[in-house]
Amino acid sequence: MPDDLVARAQAGDQTAFRELYRQHTGRVYALCLRLTGDARDAEERTQDVFVRLWDKLRSFRGESAFSSWLHRLAVNVVLNERRTTGRRERRVMPAEDPDNVVGAQHAAPLPSSTPGLSIDLERAIAELPDGAREVFVLYDIEGYGHGEIAQLVGIAEGTSKAQLFRARRLLREKLER
Amino acid sequence: MNEQELLDAVGRLPKSLEPPRDLWPGISTRINARLWRRWYWVPLAAAAALALVLIGRSIKPTAWDVTALAGRPLIGTKRLAASGRLRVGDWLQTDDSSRALVAVGRIGQVEVQPDTRVQLVVARANEHRLALARGTIAAKVDAVPRLFFVDTPAGTAIDLGCAYTLATDSLGKGLLHVTGGEVEFQTRQRSARVPLGALVQIRPALGPGTPYVEDAPAPFVRALIAFDFEKGRARAMRTTLALARPQDALSLWHLLQRVAPPLRGVVYDRLAALVPPPPGVTRGGAIALHPRDLEGYWTKIHSIHFRRMVLRGVREINPRTGLAR
Repeated sequence: MPDDLVARAQAGDQTAFRELYRQHTGRVYALCLRLTGDARDAEERTQDVFVRLWDKLRSFRGESAFSSWLHRLAVNVVLNERRTTGRRERRVMPAEDPDNVVGAQHAAPLPSSTPGLSIDLERAIAELPDGAREVFVLYDIEGYGHGEIAQLVGIAEGTSKAQLFRARRLLREKLER
Repeated sequence: MNEQELLDAVGRLPKSLEPPRDLWPGISTRINARLWRRWYWVPLAAAAALALVLIGRSIKPTAWDVTALAGRPLIGTKRLAASGRLRVGDWLQTDDSSRALVAVGRIGQVEVQPDTRVQLVVARANEHRLALARGTIAAKVDAVPRLFFVDTPAGTAIDLGCAYTLATDSLGKGLLHVTGGEVEFQTRQRSARVPLGALVQIRPALGPGTPYVEDAPAPFVRALIAFDFEKGRARAMRTTLALARPQDALSLWHLLQRVAPPLRGVVYDRLAALVPPPPGVTRGGAIALHPRDLEGYWTKIHSIHFRRMVLRGVREINPRTGLAR
């Protein structure tokens, strides 16, 4: 029973926690991969999410489905890390090329042979600018509303709508080439 | 492709993707480390809290003691006879024949050299901050990192537990020379890590240049300065790489983060040829400026450099490996 697993993991049972990892890692990794657009970052963030989950698990009260709660936690971990990394990288970058901060995050390629994956679309999503990609993934793939996205990302609701419009336009252009 | 076709394609994307490798071992290691740390820190945290309470009771937070070492420095408009107090907001000024010693709360001291103007900006237990408008100071601080800051027109020197000399003119052109520990010199756009035995040029608007070691050859230093602050950066970078020695690895580590992305590979290859990267640091990761790779490399470079500096005149250290020859 999943609820038993959560309860056992909350009590510090690592075997149960590992089973939770096994059940949810695919969903969390997919989210991290799409939000970061970088396979290596996605692996690191997935690990961060489960370490954070271990710390926060006791605060889960069962008011929502565990998978929804974990999903929200994962979104927060990825977005927080991007904000922190962005600040850190801006500190070491020369003033004249701030754009490289974004480019630097896309060095590792996406997996090219994941079965059943729409490679072209996944790649096109990964190549979107950070802001547009985050809004697109959260709205069109994960089903968040603009109000929630604005809160999560720390932008205005109007900006979220504009980023979504931009992301869809860029994707259509990329996929038509 | 129209928008509906795009959304249909998005709807067909799988909700779950398996990572290419098992991530559990890394998670398990980190969880277990946290469990251990949680218990380990309980007595330490209690002791630290007690120490903070005791220190907090005894610190006078708003003024620092000043002693005249030579001549009669000014605090505000008043001449300092032998000693006095520098309060938050006060300016301390020396002329060409006066010097003063400022006690930085209870964590260190700053010698204010002739022709210098400094202001006490913050005097709190968790933040000690001076503004150096012009002139030279020699600071010596014995505290945990990031308690003592010196603002200059070109950026801020952040103490990481150290001793250093900082000189600047009123426009912000100057030099930081670290003689103990490590200092970070930072602006909003750039930062430089300067360990003991290293220097960094600072410039208004541009902030810190690329740090270099005390015994760096003059042509190498000239090339770095040209790269950091003058025209013809590409040629200066080539010269820098050609002249670099293993001892100059800390300069190349900074350079890697400052060149245009297409040139990072060249800098990395030269750095790796001089000081091989430690296990776990990859070329791709370093070129992409992944913090984990940069930190890993820095740890090795810093450790070799530290051994070279502290064993200077005692043992000859191989600058590629850090081992005694």
